[in-house]
Amino acid sequence: MRDIMTIARKEMKSYLNSVSTYIVFVVFLLLSGWFFSTLMFKAGKAELRQLFTILHMVYLFFIPALTMGMISKEKSTQTIELLATLPIRLRSIVWGKFMAAFGLLFLILLFTLVHLLTIMIFGENLDYGSILGGYLGMAIAGAAYCAIGIFASTLHSNQILAFIIAFVISLFFYGLQYVLVLLPAGTVDFFQYLTFDYHLQNFLKGVIDTRDVIFFGSIIAAFMLLAEFMLKLNNRMQEK
Amino acid sequence: MIEVKNLTRHFDTIKAVDDIAFSIREGEIVGFLGPNGAGKTTTLRMLVGYLQPSAGTITIMDKDINEEPLAIAREIGYLPEHSPLYDDMAVYDYLQFIAEIRHMDKAKFADRLDYVIDKCGLREVIGQQVQTLSKGYRQRTGLAQAILHDPKVLILDEPTSGLDPNQIMEIRDLIKELGREKTVILSSHIMQEVQAVCDRIIIINKGKIIADELKENLGRQISGQTILTAEIEAEDPDFEPWLAAHPEASLQSSSSQDNHWKLVFSYPAEADLQRDLSQFIASRQWLILSMFKQQQSLEEIFHVLTTETETIPEPEPEKPLQEDKEDADA
Repeated sequence: MRDIMTIARKEMKSYLNSVSTYIVFVVFLLLSGWFFSTLMFKAGKAELRQLFTILHMVYLFFIPALTMGMISKEKSTQTIELLATLPIRLRSIVWGKFMAAFGLLFLILLFTLVHLLTIMIFGENLDYGSILGGYLGMAIAGAAYCAIGIFASTLHSNQILAFIIAFVISLFFYGLQYVLVLLPAGTVDFFQYLTFDYHLQNFLKGVIDTRDVIFFGSIIAAFMLLAEFMLKLNNRMQEK
Repeated sequence: MIEVKNLTRHFDTIKAVDDIAFSIREGEIVGFLGPNGAGKTTTLRMLVGYLQPSAGTITIMDKDINEEPLAIAREIGYLPEHSPLYDDMAVYDYLQFIAEIRHMDKAKFADRLDYVIDKCGLREVIGQQVQTLSKGYRQRTGLAQAILHDPKVLILDEPTSGLDPNQIMEIRDLIKELGREKTVILSSHIMQEVQAVCDRIIIINKGKIIADELKENLGRQISGQTILTAEIEAEDPDFEPWLAAHPEASLQSSSSQDNHWKLVFSYPAEADLQRDLSQFIASRQWLILSMFKQQQSLEEIFHVLTTETETIPEPEPEKPLQEDKEDADA
């Protein structure tokens, strides 16, 4: 755990020192803010549902952009050789990176509180349960996308490639909801269960169902295990 | 201290390291010498646990590297080739990060930091971003990282590459100093380097060890020939009787200026004929002006060894030339 936090702290520090992080942040906030303001005034409802739907869409670009360099950059600058020969487990490395990505995600979610403030000022009868549930859902779904991004980052030393792979995998979990109607009737239930949106809907209603938490938890665990496996495989290192 | 047996590593169909074995005692400074692509880096990477061997065992401090890689990693300081560093960190932050991963407490870190800054000459750049450092300082920062935790074993992959002559001298002195208490393994393709620093030299070519000798022995055992140059003052000296008495020796060349003769003899390294020759010259009342024995330099040995083992002549002679050029640049 100590090693994980050491890696996470170092990673957070270097991300917060880099201009590109802020560019990604600004683009994220601009996009979500613009969508939020246009949709909110159209719908005229004092809720954050639209915001969360938009955030979920923006995640598709935002999180792969955040995570693409996490491990691929270590590979292209060969610092992975250094890191892997230090007395630290590969598991701690990937989880440290994951924690850093999640920390940055948490930070950006904090910024979206400004939208909450807006509807708190202008709206009435807010359903705080659903808002809290929504934020929790966005955090846990975001964590799942982070795990996907970290995994993609282990695949290649090229950051752009890592971004594209993370985007494609994320798109699968995100976009599946739109193609469900085209699937054979018997498989719909199964594929619907795989879509992130299906599980997020409960959170947005303010219902925190353990089944949804377990679903996202297993997605995170699965991709983090894959990431660890890829590191072992790519660097042909032994179990550490 | 370090035991390596039957170590082999394939990359697809290429055998980068082919069934090598060696053992290194505590306190030795061992140099891996070989042309580029000989398998030095692959061997070192396997020693530090970065590459999984295809076959063979590595035991460091009585621990098998597959069983206890973390315990071994704690005892090793490693400087990878080209000294990779995090460009966006300051030198101090970088060393602090390494200390944290190595679980050093604050007091020990402060103590060791002072030591490595001093030894590696980092005082001027300690607050500087790594990406603004020159090659020499990058290399020193990498070295500082490797010795920060006071490891028992130091593994350095081309520690002086890219440094200017002064820096090379400094780093060599530092390695020699560290070698008094630590076991040091370094790799290099520069012969003077291993000759200057190491006690023992392992020459490796095409994945095989072709020589593993103490520095002093290497020249004698492999060269086969000692070259003896004598300058004498005499009128028309005749060495035929002496050469007849010593059939293993031969007169390579002789030149004269008036009565001043320069003669070059060669004989097998194991025969010690210097004394005998000078007695012969004295018995003839000739005057010895100078006499010196030359063993084939490591460079020549290296050249002979690394070219001799080629069973098939290389079809592309351009490649080594390019590598030479790189070395010159470096």
